[in-house]
Parts: sequence; C-alpha cells; structure tokens
Amino acid sequence: MTHAQQGAWTRAVLMGIYVAITAFPFYWMFITAFKTNNDLYTLANNPLWFNELPTFGHIIYLFQNTRFSTWMLNSAIIGVCVVAITLVIATPAGYALARLDLPGANQMGIAIFATYLVPPSLLFIPLTRVVYFLGLNNTIWSLVVVLPTISIPFAVWLLMGFFKNVPREIEDAGLVDGCSRFQAVMQIVLPISKAGLAAAGMFAFAISLQAFLYPLVFTSSTSVKPVTLGVVTDLIRGDIYYWGELMAGALIAGLPVAILFNVFLDDFVEGITGGAFK
Amino acid sequence: MATLARGVPVQRSLAHRLSAPRYLGYLLVLPAIVYVLALIGFPLVLGVWYSLTNTTVAQPGTFVGLKNFVDVAKDPTFILAVRNTLIIGIVATAAKITLSVALAFLMLGAFPGRGIMRILFVLPWTIPIALSTIAYKWMFISQYSVVNWMLIRIGLLSDPGINWLGTAVPAMAAVIFVSTWRAVPFGAITVLAGLTAIPTDVIEAARIDGAGWWARFTKVIVPIIAPILFIALLFDLIFTLTELTVVFILTGGGPVDQTQVLANYALQVGVNGTQLGQGAAIALYMLPVLLVLTIMSLRHIAKREGM
Repeated sequence: MTHAQQGAWTRAVLMGIYVAITAFPFYWMFITAFKTNNDLYTLANNPLWFNELPTFGHIIYLFQNTRFSTWMLNSAIIGVCVVAITLVIATPAGYALARLDLPGANQMGIAIFATYLVPPSLLFIPLTRVVYFLGLNNTIWSLVVVLPTISIPFAVWLLMGFFKNVPREIEDAGLVDGCSRFQAVMQIVLPISKAGLAAAGMFAFAISLQAFLYPLVFTSSTSVKPVTLGVVTDLIRGDIYYWGELMAGALIAGLPVAILFNVFLDDFVEGITGGAFK
Repeated sequence: MATLARGVPVQRSLAHRLSAPRYLGYLLVLPAIVYVLALIGFPLVLGVWYSLTNTTVAQPGTFVGLKNFVDVAKDPTFILAVRNTLIIGIVATAAKITLSVALAFLMLGAFPGRGIMRILFVLPWTIPIALSTIAYKWMFISQYSVVNWMLIRIGLLSDPGINWLGTAVPAMAAVIFVSTWRAVPFGAITVLAGLTAIPTDVIEAARIDGAGWWARFTKVIVPIIAPILFIALLFDLIFTLTELTVVFILTGGGPVDQTQVLANYALQVGVNGTQLGQGAAIALYMLPVLLVLTIMSLRHIAKREGM
C-alpha cells in the first residue's frame, strides 16, 4: 500500500467512526419507529435490533389517531408562504443594494443583516403581544408573518452577494439591446443568480421548519401546530411518552427536510462562503 | 404637450423620477426595511418598555424603573441560568471549532465512501433540531437509555449506568453534546469551503521552504481561513447563547434548574408565568453580550467588504 492509499484509508476509518456515532440517533429513530411496544419496553431485549417482528403500528396510529397529517400540512403551508414572502421582499432589496449605486447601500445592507443577529429569544415576549393585537394568535398565519423576520435579513445579504457577482456587462448588454431594466433583471440577472435564489429560498424553508420557539409561544391548539412542535408536544400525555409514535413522527417529518437540504447543500454553502463573505 | 390636460406633465415627471434608479432603488429596499422595523425593531423597543414595567398578560402595567432587573438579579434560578448559559456557550463553541476544523481536514482529501459519508455527516445539521433532540431524550431516558446500555456493554460504565437527564453534570454534558452534534457539520463544511479556496501552490511553496505541518497550519492555513472561522464562531456563539430548544425538550431546565438557561427561564417566567415584564428583563440581560458580539461581527464583515 502506498503512503497516499494509507492516508485515504485512515481518513475513511476516522470519518466512519465519527459518522457512526453522529448518525446513531437516526438509526435509533428508525428502529424505534418499527418496533412493537412489547419489544421496546422489555429491558432484557437487545435494544439495537428487532427482537419481535417489525410493525407499522406506530405509523398507522400516527396518521389515524393523531393530527400528524394536519401538522405536516401546516408546516408545508407555512414553509411555502415564508419562502414566497422572503423571495418577494428580499430579491428586489438585494438587487437594489448590490446594483443601483445607492448612496449608503453597503451600510444599509449591513444594517438589515444585523437584524439577523437579533435572536428570537430576545423578541418572543413582546411578539406574543404583537401577534395577539394583529389577531393572529393561535393561527398558522402568526408564523407566516413572523418567521420571515429571520429569513429576510439573511436572504437580502445572501442575494446582495450573488447579484454583485453578476458581471455588469451582461446586464448592460441587455439594456443596450432594448430591454427595460426590469426585463434585463427578469431575463438575464435572475436566471444567472438562480443558485443564489435557490439558496435563499432553501434557507427560508429550512428556517420555517427548524423554528421551535415561535411556534411554541404563538400556537397552542393541536390543529394549528407545525409538525416539529406537534410531534414533541402532542405525542406526550402527561408523563407518558409514546416513543414509538414520537420516533415515527420525527422520522417522517425530518427525513424529507434532510433530503431536500442535501440536494441544496452546495448552493447553500456557496451562498454563504462564496456569495457573502468573499 | 404641456398644453394638454394639467395632470399629464406631472404624471410624466413622476414616472420619470420612478424610473431613475435612485428612487426606484430605495423603493425596492423599502419593503425589507419596513418588515424588519415592524417585527424586529418595534418588538425590541416594546420588550425594553415591558422590562421597565410590571406588565402581565392580564394588565397593561405601569412604569417601575429597573425593579425587574434588580429583582431578577437576586433570583437564585436566574444566577444558575446565567452560569449555565455561559458554560454551554463556551464549552460547546470550543468543541464545535475543534471538531469542525479537524473534520474539515479529514474531508479535504479523497477517501473510499466519501460521497455517502458526506450525506450521513450533514444529517445532524439538516434535520429540525426539535426532532433530533426528542430522539436524544429517548436515548438518554433513565430506565431505557440505550446510551447506558452500550456504554455498559463496552465496559465504560458499570450497571446501572448514569441517570443522564436526572443528574446535574451529566445533564449539562448531554445538552452540550447535542448542541455540538448539531452544529459541527455546518462548521466543518464552512471551514472546508475555506480550505478548498486556498491555492495548493501556496501550501506547496511553504512545504518547499521547509515548513513542517504545524508551521504550515499556523502560518499559512489559519491566516487564510481565520476570517471565515471567526465569523462562523461569532454567529454560533450568538445562537448558542440564546438557544432554548435543546434545553426545553431534553431537560426542561432540570433537574431542579441545574441546566436552566436564560432563554428558557425567560419563557417560563414571561410566557408560562405570564409576568411579561420580568420575562423581558431576563431576556434583556443577554443584550450586552449580544451587542458586543454583533458589533464585532459587523465590523469584521464591513472590513472584508472594504468599507
């Protein structure tokens, strides 16, 4: 074995050990979701493998006896709305700050971005009153309105970086060819920046699904909760945790997000490292 | 043209002004600014006002000056929350940086199975934290803890293992572990992106000049990735110091407030306890530290942007 081959195998083994440890919770979710209760709660059993035949009982229970499908739908609606609001508001702002030579554009960009660093835990108490006065208390629309406060500042910053990287000559060529500036933006700048738009949209979607504090304080009825909140609050009765259902819910709600994120990961990293901080 | 209906020239000049990039530009930025002012700026000011009043959910409240801040500072649970917030912030951040840099170097080269390992590697960061934390709760839960089961099997613990979530120090360790577990993939990938951007001939030149790996690391690589690492560090610190999801789900701040953190305590007092004023005061105790970290971040970014 050459020195380089040895190095590659050492890397593979070290990474393998790390990943085996950090991916274990996912294995644990998976195996718990398909184990019978008897199997789960018999202490003599080997917890790492099936001691009885696997069951779909927890998943069926989740869809038939809980509001799990409602929570999934709520999360999807909230996610799509937050992405739409974020892109509609952040794209023009990002473009204008990057491209229109506004006096103080960079300072404004930084000021908007600074609000991204104001954490939800500093705002949630007054926001409960704001949401209440808007009449959005205990509705999914409270989250549709409030969650873009996290995604807009970041998306403006991200898109600013992307639009700065679009060569001016390309846009100017469009203008010379008789496009209006609006047409030039729609037909030339936005398609070139689609990686940035995808990253910003993905980020907004992730924010809305990751959010926990805002859903926790703005929604209380079972029927209006997003899935991340519903699973961890409503599958517990008093002190009794329904672990099979909990893990099935975490798996079904979490896996699509994880897969989606993986698809967009490179765009996202490019957005953060290449777009904004270069 | 000017002799036509009176409104026309006015309309035209308005249209002309709007098409001029400067006015149009500010108009395009306006919605973002309004959104941010209405739902971040205003609540922040409202929160400061609440903290100076005895507002509860039931009553509007009157001005009480700094009473809430003084009362809170004498509260033993608050002291515990400050201590734990700082411990978690410092220990988890140190662990995240060390692991992120080490793993970024591991992933820099090719190795068998790299593709699938990368997918598994980023899983902790991609799944919503509330969902992974509930899985951890089930892994740590007293009687059925699979963590105990495995550690006993490989001889690291003796039966009956550790009551992870019911004992002060192990509970803190569990919170720090989950927080670190979650953040490392993002940190490592960010550092990796920084490393990939380093031209190999720079490192090669240092090697030819006789620099050992430690010298190459500290003199060549660190200065190049330091800016991105510094920003990632400040951001992470801001979010770790103000986070409550892991504590809320994993321990609820327990046992007996031994893992209580500021954000979770603000929630307990301000929302569950309906004492909006006191809750706001607890949350605002985070502000000075956040302000320092934010200003450091922004100055750093401004410098990089050449302003």
